[in-house]
Amino acid sequence: MMPVTLFLALGAILFCIGLYGVLTRRHIVVVLVCIELMLNSVNINLVAFSSVGPVANVTGQVFSLFVITIAAAEVAVGLAILIALYRNRASIDVIKHDLLRSS
Amino acid sequence: MTGQEIMFIILALIAICCASLVIVLKRISHRVLSMAFCSFAIAGLYFLLRAEFLGIIQIMVYVGGLTVLFVFAVMMTDHRTTTFVPERSKVFKFVSFIGVGSLLSIMLIGILGMDLPAGTEPFIGTAEAIGLELYGNYVIAFLGVGILLLAALIGAIVIARKEADEQ
Repeated sequence: MMPVTLFLALGAILFCIGLYGVLTRRHIVVVLVCIELMLNSVNINLVAFSSVGPVANVTGQVFSLFVITIAAAEVAVGLAILIALYRNRASIDVIKHDLLRSS
Repeated sequence: MTGQEIMFIILALIAICCASLVIVLKRISHRVLSMAFCSFAIAGLYFLLRAEFLGIIQIMVYVGGLTVLFVFAVMMTDHRTTTFVPERSKVFKFVSFIGVGSLLSIMLIGILGMDLPAGTEPFIGTAEAIGLELYGNYVIAFLGVGILLLAALIGAIVIARKEADEQ
């Protein structure tokens, strides 16, 4: 069977790609997509440990189901906020939404 | 090299390439499509890990649900008139690249230096095993997640709908 470290390495690479996207992109939808990539990489780790880890059992897959659910809820609320922001301020640039910044 | 390792390498390359394309591509619809393919590749990895139920859930939720949601959000907002000036400074991008790259290298050194005993038999994540655990040990968390989904649904509707007339 495959060693679990390969899956952990893949998860780390995907996580860092998502993190770089969150840090550098300006488009709100792209930022949300990159957050989804990061959550996906966490899921890969959980499922790898649950399936081929030293103590293989079902708990990791149950946790991964919870993560998928939270990700779906987060995207629903995030896109609703995006639509409300766009309606009020006509911009999808994350830098322009700085109403709460105390300057 | 066994068939499993070849499949892993193919799927991992697809996932990494599609995740990079999410950042590199110009058009927003192409980026969302690239995320869908990345989710497909990760679902294939779940099947490779014998987590069949989770692979099906991944395809249903990510490819079927979230991608459509993203496409709707892209359609609701106008992307032709938006401009991103001034562009983020090169220094910021460089610093984030260095930071993320060093984080990745530290994690990879730690992961590849780790000596984990490999499991002998893969655990097969059937729907029966997951359901028994979910409705047994984790039933409180399951109910909590249900309430959270309801709250998120109602919140999304309330936030996204048009403001009613004040009069």
